[in-house]
Amino acid sequence: MTATESVSPDASAVPAATDWNGVDFHGARSRSRRWSRLLWSLVYPQRGQRILPTVPGTLLIAVSLGIGTAAYNTSSNILFITLSLLLACLVSSGVLSWFNLKEVTWRLRLTPPLRVGREHAVTLELRNAKRVLPTYGLWFDFTATGMAKPVRRALAGRLDPRGETRVEWTFCPQKRGAATVELVAVGSLFPFGFLRKIIGSELRREALVWPASVEYRRFPLVSWRHPGIGEQKATAGQGGDLLALRPYAQGDSQRAVHWKASARLRRLVVRQFATEMQAGFSLWVQTSAEVWMRPEQFELLCSFAATLAEDLFRAGRLTSVALNDEPTYLVRSVRDLELFLDRLALAAPVDQPYQPTTSAGAGRRFNVLTFAPDGARGVLAHVDGKPAATA
Amino acid sequence: MSMENRRPQLNLAELHQLKWLIGGLLALISAWTVVYMDVEAWLLLVLATVAIPVVTVRPGLTMRVPRLAHRLAFPILLSVFAIDMAGHWREPLPPVIRLALMLVLYRVITPRKRRDDLQIIVLGLFLVVVGGVVSVSIVFAAQIVVFTACALLFLLVITLVDGMESEPTLAGETGGWMQVEWRRLAQRLRECVDWRVAVLGGLLFAGVVGLSAVLFMAIPRFELGNSLFLDRLITSHAKTGFSENIQFGDVVDIQRDTSVALSVDVSDRSQMPAQLYWRMLVLDEYSKGSFRMSAAAKFSLDRVSAQNARVQGDAPLSARTPVWTFYVETGTSRFLPLLGAFNEIGFEGEKEVAFNRDTGLVMLRQTPSKMLAYRVEGMQSGPSLKLPEKGGEIRLNDKSELKLPSLTELVLHTDEKVKLAAWVAEIGAPPGSAPEFARSASRWLAKRHAYSLQSSIGSGPADSDPLVRWVDSAEPGHCELFAGAFTLLARTAGYPTRVALGFKGGSWNARSENITVRNSDAHAWCEVYDKAAGAWLRVDPTPGAAAVGDSANAPQGEAVLARIRDDSWAARFESLRVFWYRRIVNFDQQSQVRLVHNAKKLADERLREFKKTLREKLEALKAWIASPWDARRVAAWGLSAAAVVFGVVGWRLAGRGAWLRWRSGRMRGGPDPVRREAGRWLRKISDSGSVMADLDGVRAELENLRYGPSAKWPEPTGVFRRAKRTLARRRR
Repeated sequence: MTATESVSPDASAVPAATDWNGVDFHGARSRSRRWSRLLWSLVYPQRGQRILPTVPGTLLIAVSLGIGTAAYNTSSNILFITLSLLLACLVSSGVLSWFNLKEVTWRLRLTPPLRVGREHAVTLELRNAKRVLPTYGLWFDFTATGMAKPVRRALAGRLDPRGETRVEWTFCPQKRGAATVELVAVGSLFPFGFLRKIIGSELRREALVWPASVEYRRFPLVSWRHPGIGEQKATAGQGGDLLALRPYAQGDSQRAVHWKASARLRRLVVRQFATEMQAGFSLWVQTSAEVWMRPEQFELLCSFAATLAEDLFRAGRLTSVALNDEPTYLVRSVRDLELFLDRLALAAPVDQPYQPTTSAGAGRRFNVLTFAPDGARGVLAHVDGKPAATA
Repeated sequence: MSMENRRPQLNLAELHQLKWLIGGLLALISAWTVVYMDVEAWLLLVLATVAIPVVTVRPGLTMRVPRLAHRLAFPILLSVFAIDMAGHWREPLPPVIRLALMLVLYRVITPRKRRDDLQIIVLGLFLVVVGGVVSVSIVFAAQIVVFTACALLFLLVITLVDGMESEPTLAGETGGWMQVEWRRLAQRLRECVDWRVAVLGGLLFAGVVGLSAVLFMAIPRFELGNSLFLDRLITSHAKTGFSENIQFGDVVDIQRDTSVALSVDVSDRSQMPAQLYWRMLVLDEYSKGSFRMSAAAKFSLDRVSAQNARVQGDAPLSARTPVWTFYVETGTSRFLPLLGAFNEIGFEGEKEVAFNRDTGLVMLRQTPSKMLAYRVEGMQSGPSLKLPEKGGEIRLNDKSELKLPSLTELVLHTDEKVKLAAWVAEIGAPPGSAPEFARSASRWLAKRHAYSLQSSIGSGPADSDPLVRWVDSAEPGHCELFAGAFTLLARTAGYPTRVALGFKGGSWNARSENITVRNSDAHAWCEVYDKAAGAWLRVDPTPGAAAVGDSANAPQGEAVLARIRDDSWAARFESLRVFWYRRIVNFDQQSQVRLVHNAKKLADERLREFKKTLREKLEALKAWIASPWDARRVAAWGLSAAAVVFGVVGWRLAGRGAWLRWRSGRMRGGPDPVRREAGRWLRKISDSGSVMADLDGVRAELENLRYGPSAKWPEPTGVFRRAKRTLARRRR
């Protein structure tokens, strides 16, 4: 199998409906073409396919060699019969193994978001398209970015003809950033355990791993203040006032769908409510390399910023976010927050001067959350230049 | 992991139970191969036969074996083997077989891991193969097939168990599998096994056997060398009693055994002799009332012993003499049964064989532990045996201190010699004619004694000769008594005479076209040296046998076979054994070449026949077309063609639909044919992965047929046709 299924970090990691892969997933429609492919694959196995003898297999080959030598040495037809049976068993093992893998397809499912330190399920969906024969004894080697060696999961029991099942693997990302989950190989000892058949796979899914959630401590914040006129802005939130109607986006609750408007516009639109009137915060993360020299501290910055952003959004108090000198953008929906977390996942120290904020809000805005190193390891969040929280 | 399967599956504990059961069965099959080997392992065999089933049925018993026993098992087994080997160092194979048997037994009565399961297979294979090589019995064929089936099933279950155990979520299910409820397991097996998969498995195994048969015939045969091998590591003893130490009365004991002693093929049935006397050995020394082979005669055989694949005889080779192929069963004798003098004997591989030209006896160094096959060319099968010795005496090396017994002198009491002389006079044969004396003496004996296997020798003094006593009485006797009495009479009359032993007759198995000779055909007769002819004359004085000279007028060839034809069930089974010997055991390079030639010949013949038939049909078609077409003929054929077209079209348009609807209306509880057909088409559409809009309509109609009420069905045939067309269009 050589097909590689990858998705861009921005796209959904959930595969499309037709991205099934398998041993004989050649797309060859005609019967003769399939046979010629099969025969050719016996001569030149496809990339990544390996057949290795197991201990019983090695024993069988050794016994066959011994019996063959003895048969030729003595012309004993009893030994020739035994040799023939052993060879026939080896052939039947190959045939059964081929039948076992025939018309078995699989696809990898990985549902973002992924988060450092949190367990995520990787699902391999299996389908046996054979009409009569079940499939047994497959195993799957999974790996992910940062893992030293693959993890093996087995298909326990039988996959019935025309049946489907799932093999699940739970993994825990250790680093933020772009992660790849890959099905390295599919293997089988079926039917008699003589040969270890390994089918190399390059089926992979890519997803972004958001920074980990961290524990932090909030200071009693004296500098929280209500925004002035002109700074007060109705933002999307959980309030009771209708703010606007907007097109449906993935992740929106079905309860928010405005059915009448949707019917009128012939596309799904959702209600957007205004948040309760509370002080909103702008979050500005600077990843200046001159300040964040220690990698651990930088990771803590990302995690702290992500955690704060989520907490503030959950409380309906996150108004906007900004990363370095990128333009500030408003956070109105979950999608906006996710995009910010995606950026944080990929954030790296940059060669930009660090701009400390002051109580005057840098002369621009109030309630701006910024971050600065706190000693050698910690990170301090400031609101308008005053310490607000630490992690 | 979530499963969405409908059929239940065996859990890990049940798979362990199944594995245990098959392992026990495999061990039992392996242990029983010892029966077919000439190995003293009866105690172990009885132990295995009892212990294996008990432990297999109750696996919990294995946990009661104390840990100390496991620790001591290996040293004990090794010690027993060492002692056994020390006691049988000349025959290393039996101790090795006993060790294998002990190991199998130990593995069965203790808890097994994967490695131990594999050990059972390897030990079992060793026992089965050694049993086959040593015995060359047809039972091996059945045994290896059953063993292979069980071993493959065993390996399959081991693989499944390993697969499930490697899954962490299931590894904990193993506990408690030793509490087996066999009835419940059988029920679960019935529930879990799909009969179609079971049938396919059976067919696949039949394919394995078929493939192995093809491989067996196709594997190139060439011999690297005849080295030390298994059958030489074991000594066998003659089971029939046909040895140089045979005692008087032994032949009758052999006759009580009805098992097969040898099977014989003859290349030309028209050359079948009237009388079949399978001569094996001659007893030339008479003392203390018993005949035996003299030490000198034995020596004469031993000194010509040599390792050879061929034995050259003295009989001339003619184009008319048939080739005889003998298959002598295990343990029959180390003396080869022959009809008479021969030109050449050919063995499969080299044998240590002794041939004495003076007696015509051929002897192997050891009694074969497996079936012995040999071909004899130029074998004479007449009533006289012309050997190159002078005056019926065996030549010995001059330096030898052994002396051959005189074939005309008798060591008897004077009164016994007087009695014998009186009987010879009573027989009244003219002196100097051995055939005449043979006929007269045989008649005379038959008059005095009836034939019976239950014979007794008349009473008399302890030091008196029993044969003379028997001749003097009127007691019935068996072949040995008649042959012995005749020998005494002939020697008294001055004719060199000896007793010959072997088999007489046999039965013709028309199914396998071979002669089957059983141990019950064992016989004793005499050989009288006829100076006039310069040959040994076969004389069978037992009542019922043909008299000397009668065989010249007796029917020969096919008539003999018709007389001894055997169509019983035993003969049918026997033909299997002959097939095994002919086609399997004796399959060699020549057979391979012959097989290829025959296959080619058959293919050529079939092709020729096919071409001929095709040519004839074409000619007939041409003639039919060329014949005049009048209006009546045209109309008749036109109507016929129209009827066929109408029938086909009508069936496709309406007939099939009506048939389906009718069948559908009659179904009660079973699968509805319309729904089933609709399901099949829906699956095809689903498999094609098509998203074409034009398929949606067809799909909706098919779904209606599949799931909807039959009252609202569209016309099924039309829907199926549309589905077919749409799919075909998509493929294009």
